[in-house]
Amino acid sequence: MNDAVEAEALVKHYGSRTGVVEAVRGVDLRVSSGEIFGFLGPNGAGKSTMIRMLTTLLSITSGTARVAGVDVDREPDAARHRMGVALQEAGLDPRQSGRETLVLQGRLFGLSARDAASRAVELLELVELEEAADRRVKGYSGGMKRRLDLATALVHQPEVLFLDEPTTGLDPASRLTVWDEVRRINTLGTTVFLTTQYLEEADALCERLAIIDDGLIVREGTPAVLKAELRERQGLASDPSLDDVFLDATGRTRSRAAGDVQEVTA
Amino acid sequence: MTQAWVLGQRALREAWRTPEALVPTLFIPLFFLVVNVGQAGKIFPSESTEFLKGQGYAAFQLPASLLLAASFGTAALFLVEDIEGGYFDKLRSAPIPRTSIVLGRLIAEGAKGLLISVAIVLLGMVFGITIASGVLGFVLLVGMTALWSVVFVGFMQLIALKTRSAAATNSGGLVFFPLLFLTPNFVPRELLTRPMEVAASFNPVTYVMEGLRSLILEDLEWSAILPAFAVVGVTGAIMLALNVRMIQRYD
Repeated sequence: MNDAVEAEALVKHYGSRTGVVEAVRGVDLRVSSGEIFGFLGPNGAGKSTMIRMLTTLLSITSGTARVAGVDVDREPDAARHRMGVALQEAGLDPRQSGRETLVLQGRLFGLSARDAASRAVELLELVELEEAADRRVKGYSGGMKRRLDLATALVHQPEVLFLDEPTTGLDPASRLTVWDEVRRINTLGTTVFLTTQYLEEADALCERLAIIDDGLIVREGTPAVLKAELRERQGLASDPSLDDVFLDATGRTRSRAAGDVQEVTA
Repeated sequence: MTQAWVLGQRALREAWRTPEALVPTLFIPLFFLVVNVGQAGKIFPSESTEFLKGQGYAAFQLPASLLLAASFGTAALFLVEDIEGGYFDKLRSAPIPRTSIVLGRLIAEGAKGLLISVAIVLLGMVFGITIASGVLGFVLLVGMTALWSVVFVGFMQLIALKTRSAAATNSGGLVFFPLLFLTPNFVPRELLTRPMEVAASFNPVTYVMEGLRSLILEDLEWSAILPAFAVVGVTGAIMLALNVRMIQRYD
């Protein structure tokens, strides 16, 4: 099976007033076609930088990245045709309706006006926003915006879907709805690459995951394998949680996490 | 070009659905027109003021109002909203030329500038201003104003793309005000004091203002019209090139 996402020695350096910031320091990563892959890490670890490089939104300092077999640096437009992107901020225009948003997105991906309109109808049905289709986005709830954002990422039937913290800020019910959508999209054959700060989300959704810390991958594998490895290494009586795996991988303790890194306790 | 047009339509919808941002671009220039004519109209009676070519002082002041209307650059503030809200990244993740993102907004600003300048000129005509250069002059008048609005929003978009800040973009727009007042705003250039005349001669806005003014006060006077279009063309090309360069390098 081909790899949907491949990164080799991927590096990103930013210039700043205090010198060079090494946000990503040589990441190798492979995500197989058809899987839901979770990308975890504390705030500032390099998750968003990685996803922005993979989605052509950020230049690559060195290394290579391919999405659906296409080099994102050399052929960004070809890569964009094969990927869908829903970033941390639901990137929507509040003054447009849900339908207008989807039709515009379809037109930008090369659909004719008629095809874009009919694709919008399909997607509104998929994310259950038919009734709100002609209302302006600024009146949508957080969950509805997330679902519409997901739909915009699917307009062109991408092979790989990148989701950057798709449920941050959502109430539990909306979060479960988004989970259902992600699973449904995946069963239709789309590879899903998602970052999250909710470990139970990664545990529930992802077949495999990687943990990044300080710009480097520190753990990679299925949740079960990562838990078993920690259990064996620490001689635990029962399987640890993914929280324990995360804390172990990032060198944090529960007490420090509670004080310093709020998101790992969520 | 299709994508630029589609994005331009979206920008026009955005403007139409935000009347609170559109109304000041019409109201404030008209306010200045009324105030300036009210303050200086009696000093320059049409019968004895040669440079008015038989019209009232409002006709002389109309170009300043048109330039002011073309210099709000609200599209750049909407661009900052797109950047801050994440929609800009959504557009950048689509397989479209980066240039179409800025071009879409410039096209929309041109269309908006055209509508607003038509409205201001028609209102001026209701109150007695005549366009001495006729129908073609009218078209050139509103066309030049619309093109200037594209130039100006191009400048504002540069600030928006560089700073990604609404406050900085807004402040950057204020640069225009000294340029507007370093022009033959109240009297022709030859009646300005020498230092002011020199400053006005170096100011490109002067030539746009004089071009617009000639279209209102005289028959087609190409010696004034062509320099105005040249200024609009050259500054427009510079702004377009800088916008394209900026968005290509946006990271």
